[in-house]
Amino acid sequence: MARVLVVEDDVGTAAEIAAALGDQGFDVECAHTGREGLLKAVADGYEAIVLDRMLPGGLDGLAVLQTLRTAGVETPVLILSALSAVDERVRGLRAGGDDYLTKPFEFVELTARVEALVRRRAIPPAETALRAGDLEIDLLSRQVRRAGRTVELLPREYRLLEYLMRHPGQVVTRTMLFEEVWGYHYEERTNVIDVHIGKLRRKLDEGGLPAMIHTVRGAGYILRAAE
Amino acid sequence: MPLSELLRTTSFRVALLLLALFSAASVFLYVQTAGYITGEDDEWLASKQAELAAASPAIRREQLGERPVGDRDVEGRSLSALFDAAGNWLGGSRVSLPQPFPPLDRAFEFERKEGGKSVPFRGLLHRLPSGEILLVSRDVSEEHEFRGLLAGAMAWGWFMVLVTGLAGAAVSGAGTLRRLDAVAGAIERIVGGNLSERLPAGESAGDLGRLIRVVNGMLDDLERLMQEVKGVSDGIAHDLRTPLTRLLAGLERAHRRAASAGEYAAAVEEAIVETRGILSSFSAMLRISELEDGARRAGFSKLDLVDLGRVATDVIELYDPLAEDKGVALALEGAGPGPAELPGDPSLLFEAIGNLVDNAIKFTPAGGRVTVRVVREDGRLGIAVADTGPGIPAAERGAVLRRFYRAEKSRHTAGSGLGLSLVAAVARLHGLRLAIEDAAPGCRVTLWRESLVAQA
Repeated sequence: MARVLVVEDDVGTAAEIAAALGDQGFDVECAHTGREGLLKAVADGYEAIVLDRMLPGGLDGLAVLQTLRTAGVETPVLILSALSAVDERVRGLRAGGDDYLTKPFEFVELTARVEALVRRRAIPPAETALRAGDLEIDLLSRQVRRAGRTVELLPREYRLLEYLMRHPGQVVTRTMLFEEVWGYHYEERTNVIDVHIGKLRRKLDEGGLPAMIHTVRGAGYILRAAE
Repeated sequence: MPLSELLRTTSFRVALLLLALFSAASVFLYVQTAGYITGEDDEWLASKQAELAAASPAIRREQLGERPVGDRDVEGRSLSALFDAAGNWLGGSRVSLPQPFPPLDRAFEFERKEGGKSVPFRGLLHRLPSGEILLVSRDVSEEHEFRGLLAGAMAWGWFMVLVTGLAGAAVSGAGTLRRLDAVAGAIERIVGGNLSERLPAGESAGDLGRLIRVVNGMLDDLERLMQEVKGVSDGIAHDLRTPLTRLLAGLERAHRRAASAGEYAAAVEEAIVETRGILSSFSAMLRISELEDGARRAGFSKLDLVDLGRVATDVIELYDPLAEDKGVALALEGAGPGPAELPGDPSLLFEAIGNLVDNAIKFTPAGGRVTVRVVREDGRLGIAVADTGPGIPAAERGAVLRRFYRAEKSRHTAGSGLGLSLVAAVARLHGLRLAIEDAAPGCRVTLWRESLVAQA
């Protein structure tokens, strides 16, 4: 079971985050000051850290992060912040953060991102092909085959599929897809992503094959190997 | 109006300063003039004395003896006499030496009774080699009279300046004080809450008038901002009250009626959807006010150049399937050649252009057309999004930029009404102007600025 450290000064918020991550099967520990968080993060091995940007008591989130990275701790860190301005985000990532989420956020967004951070390390980077059931993509030639038949995809559709294939069985939110595939950072609230996914789905499931990309209500999508 | 306050006005101080300057100038003029006149006399005395001293005793006696006018010499103005070393009169004019002797070879003044009148003289004593003392002197009553007249004239001038200056200062100072009192009164009323009050401008074009016009301009801005804030909070109250009411009602209904776990689950699901909507409106508002803060303006350096053509291409690609589903043609114009760059934030520009395209697709009926054009001509740089929808009536064009504003016709379409105000905020942050025009048919929204070719 993956262990996650939550560093958040507001006890209520920390408890809610812990509960949400706990429901996703994570083993969660909480710290309420930067100092406590730093000590725990250095002492124990965690798979991921959720770190609030604003922490009381001298040592704020970015300082904790910089100290961790200087100390050689490479645990993936998701920064939570009330500051949404883009340069704040850049500053957070530059300090060694792996992802950045602005308050107020939806908990599905948080859990999906933590899950992505934890699993990211599991996939060997030298992989040249991804496989899920009868779906197979070649990362070098960008060829997609389902049940032995070649599926023609537009470049953007290919990248959507690749991202989903890299996170099989995981909830991926629309914002994550948008950030990853389009490379812009903001909360895309319209249903545009749904339309793209819809087209991708139709191409994959052509010929009456069972669906592989499933919609998770109020959250995003999940790719599962067809039974 | 208290005198002490009047004395502190600027006009009063200026009057006093001018008076002091005038006094100093008068004293200087008087001293210079008087000094010149006395100098003339002293020169004459010195030359007369030298002439008498150089002459032989016989000629000197003869010259001293020539006294045709009273006791005076030929010119009628001077007295000359010779005394022995003890000061006893030897010859010349009948003058008695002042006792004790004034210092030798230095001009001195003395008075002499002539015909019952006291006449001022200026004289010079010199000891001859024989030990005798020679006096030359001159009647200086004219000089004294002239000095008196000069001093009198200057005193009068000073008095006139004093009277007119102080009176003028009092009048203008009182006027200033009256206006200041009026201004202070107006400010007190503004502070008291009456934001539509303005400072009394009067008709003057003076310093105070200019200041008042500037302050009134600032007050106009403040009032507009306050009204906007009020509009925003009213908008927030209205837009959040509706979903909050629905949320509460739904939860209370579940509390009252729900019997099974399934019904509870459905109610919770509804509440989550409702809350999500509230949260997203709320985030959008936060973002807009953050952008309007403009705090990040300093963050755009020339290194952060964004290619509008690239961003527009990405936007088109994102929205193309949506347009296709609706049967609307989506096209990009003017994308090349070469980049159309401006310093900025790509995500914000993408969001702004995306918002415009999303709106355009939403309001264009099937079979219509949405065109995104990269503007880079006539020294302009920007992006234009045009559609063939119903357009925005001229009267509503200003209003659509306000937060939460939704045109009457669009009440039934989805959206928070925050989109265009977000676009406007992003535009302001990037120094872009936002223009809404009639595209006949449809509507064209342009974000543009003067291109900075010279700076490149």
